[in-house]
Amino acid sequence: MKFLEVEKLKKTFGGLVAVQNFDMTIEKGEIVGLIGPNGAGKTTVFNMVARFYQPDSGHVRFEGKDLVGMKPYQVCALGVARTFQVTKPFVNNTVLENVMVGAFSRTAHAPEARKKALEVLDFLGFQDHKDVLGHELTTADHKRLELARALATQPRLLLLDESMAGLNPAEKMHLLELLRRVRDQGITLLVVEHDMKAVMTLCERIIMLHRGEKLVEGTPQQVANNPQAIAAYLGEEYAAA
Amino acid sequence: MEKKENGKMPRKKIPLGGWAAGAVLALFLIVPLFIHNPYLLHIFVLVFLFAYLGTAWSLVAMAGQLSLGHAALMGIGGYVSTLMFMEWGVTPWLGMIVGGIFCGIIGVIIGYPTFRLRGPYFALTTIAFAEILRIYVENTEEGPLAIPLRGGMGLLVPLKGDAPGVFQFSTKEPYYYIALLMMLAAVGLSFFINRWRMGYYLAAIRSDQDAAEALAINSTKYKLIAMAISCVLTALGGTFYAQYFRYINPERAMGLSMSIEIALVGVVGGWQTVLGPTIGSILLSPSGELVRAYLGGTYAGLHLFLYGLLIMVVVLFMPNGLNDPLVRLFKRWDAGLRGPSGGPKDAFPPDPGRASPLPGRRES
Amino acid sequence: MDFELLASSFLMGLMLGGLYAAVAVGLSLIFGIIRVINFAHGAFLMVAMYASFWLWYFFGIDPYISTIPVAVLFFYFGYYVQKWLIRPIFIREKALVIEPLGVLLLTAGLDLVLSNLALLFFKSDPRAVVSPAASATIDLGFVDLNIPRFVVFILSFAIAGALYWLLNYTEKGIAIRSVGQNREAAALCGVNVYGIYNFTFGIGTAALALAGGAMVPFFYVTPSMGLSLGIKSFIVVVLGGLGSVPGALIGGLILGVVESVTAQFVMSTSSVIFSFLLFIVVLFTRPKGIMGVLET
Repeated sequence: MKFLEVEKLKKTFGGLVAVQNFDMTIEKGEIVGLIGPNGAGKTTVFNMVARFYQPDSGHVRFEGKDLVGMKPYQVCALGVARTFQVTKPFVNNTVLENVMVGAFSRTAHAPEARKKALEVLDFLGFQDHKDVLGHELTTADHKRLELARALATQPRLLLLDESMAGLNPAEKMHLLELLRRVRDQGITLLVVEHDMKAVMTLCERIIMLHRGEKLVEGTPQQVANNPQAIAAYLGEEYAAA
Repeated sequence: MEKKENGKMPRKKIPLGGWAAGAVLALFLIVPLFIHNPYLLHIFVLVFLFAYLGTAWSLVAMAGQLSLGHAALMGIGGYVSTLMFMEWGVTPWLGMIVGGIFCGIIGVIIGYPTFRLRGPYFALTTIAFAEILRIYVENTEEGPLAIPLRGGMGLLVPLKGDAPGVFQFSTKEPYYYIALLMMLAAVGLSFFINRWRMGYYLAAIRSDQDAAEALAINSTKYKLIAMAISCVLTALGGTFYAQYFRYINPERAMGLSMSIEIALVGVVGGWQTVLGPTIGSILLSPSGELVRAYLGGTYAGLHLFLYGLLIMVVVLFMPNGLNDPLVRLFKRWDAGLRGPSGGPKDAFPPDPGRASPLPGRRES
Repeated sequence: MDFELLASSFLMGLMLGGLYAAVAVGLSLIFGIIRVINFAHGAFLMVAMYASFWLWYFFGIDPYISTIPVAVLFFYFGYYVQKWLIRPIFIREKALVIEPLGVLLLTAGLDLVLSNLALLFFKSDPRAVVSPAASATIDLGFVDLNIPRFVVFILSFAIAGALYWLLNYTEKGIAIRSVGQNREAAALCGVNVYGIYNFTFGIGTAALALAGGAMVPFFYVTPSMGLSLGIKSFIVVVLGGLGSVPGALIGGLILGVVESVTAQFVMSTSSVIFSFLLFIVVLFTRPKGIMGVLET
């Protein structure tokens, strides 16, 4: 039984084929990156796995269970958490309250949720912000909050949607460090990302999408040296050169 | 005043707001011992009734939807219990429960498709449903199953004098305490909902439904639960209304102006907080009633004019209702009295009830 | 079913629909571009009608003539309502994505204020312009067509046509439509978004005042008439498609006909129920309305 198995996913919007014939397998404990130029279909795949979009055809199986027809909240309950590219903090609540909402997915008991939330905040080094309101946070802190909330749901698979976007290099380093620590806790990561450097450093395996289909798959080294990959990002002439 | 909303960790100190609320409550308990004027007691009853209705209404508002048709639920509750009494002699105490359950079911059935609609559309739809009901009852002498609805004439509750067994009393005092009890129950329920997971989930749903769903929250389920509770409570209020005034008719009990009055106490007081609707009612009910009684003859509509003006002022300057400025005031006094150790940071831990899609940030 | 009766009720429905359309077209524009529900729409109509009425009562000015200056006056009225009352809420709301509920409440409060001010000052006796023109009719054989109502019917097309022309054939109109579609992008192109909002609200209100002036000859004005017409306007706007001017026209006509025809089968007060039911059905099944172009 594979940890996450994606089989022949297809999605069209109107007349446009966003994703087709997409297969992907993820083993437990991996950090896998999903990259591709703009419009390649990364976010579409991401949303299909997280069940915010329904695929036209194909399957997504998590720990053997077919996710067909599930609503996003059911997926999260199963152990698959996601963050949002454009962060969605609960702006009028404190950081602690935000994270508690995540923690409540595993317990109905408020003191317990609070305890779990504080643990997560501690793990991420965020506990000093616990009483800050959502709308008072910086962008980098928004990202940390997204991560904290998702972690509070005790996921086994964490889907990260462009979590590096909008961060400066120092903040990115910090986040990469946190993500490695998350993986060390036993959580598998699937990362959609534009930032090549971050992906190359963080991910053990990279899948590249181009025009809705899987183009290249392999270790960061393999993908970086793959002529097709280079062509897709930089243009055919550059690859030929 | 915010004190009723805290308490996730055991508190050693009760802040000033808590004492104030407690004092007000104690005052309410002993008022009938000193005041016997029926009209004054009547005003208190109105305060409690609208605080109760406003709090019940705010449960749906906490899920992020502004209902302007809640009077319909009140009307249904009142009609069910009164009709059961008039036709079958069933005591309104029982009829109340039947009405409540009936309304809860209706609320869920209507809520399910309606919750998909966003803000203004939801409000308009609630108005539409309420008006459909009101117009139907107003124009129907005999309803389905030959139930005599008596149209626009309304229902006159058969007078039984002092008959506690059928929810009738000849003096104001019993109604006073029942209304007070109902208000406390509603406020208490709101308080606990906010403390428990449900309150956090409702705040999350109204803040950002997508984010909430990504955190394993079944938003439809929680919205419907909030709706069901709100409907049941409002229906019970309808029975009280019928038994207190001994008369209920579609225009008054199911009409748009009643829906607006119910929403008003919430909006003015701060509909996303536990005590907001109560504060709103304390301010609005007496003034509205007094204006209506003393000036209503010569200046018909003055109290509505004032209500309208108040809504506008609140929306423009205090979007989260009066609760916010009051809370800040109490926090400042509290800090002033207690000093750094008992300061606001410890005394007012996170409160999920604050989030709101209404315009405006809390501080600034 | 008596054909003559049906035909005449259909025709009456069209006339009524014209009235609804004329009143709702302004709201459709306001809602489509600014995305606010103006609960006080009916109250605005009521005030405009009182203005026309008092001009006739005290100065003997024919409503059809006074409607023009009144409309101009109401352009400014709407302009400043948007500028002073609604804009502050928008500014506060900037970061949030959802439509401001605050505006809904504000305009509900405004409606209460206006209707009850009117009640306090004008009292609740219905007012009507007394003129021979009011009951003039054209004999169509199976029914007598009331001329003032017919004028309103024609006027609804005229107003809709004028607005349509404004939106599609003038530079201002393009700016307005662009703001309605994507206000950030419009701002980036140099459009003064808030200025457009003010202007649009003014135009919508002026259109309303025009309709009101034409209604005064046959419609009794009372302080409370605003609410029911206001609600009908929402129904029309939803039916026809938010933001669509032709949609408002079609929606209004449909609503008028539905009400008029169903009134033959049930008591006229009950026929309003069908309007509400229609409203709910449309919201649930096709929220975009008949000609809906905008996302709900």
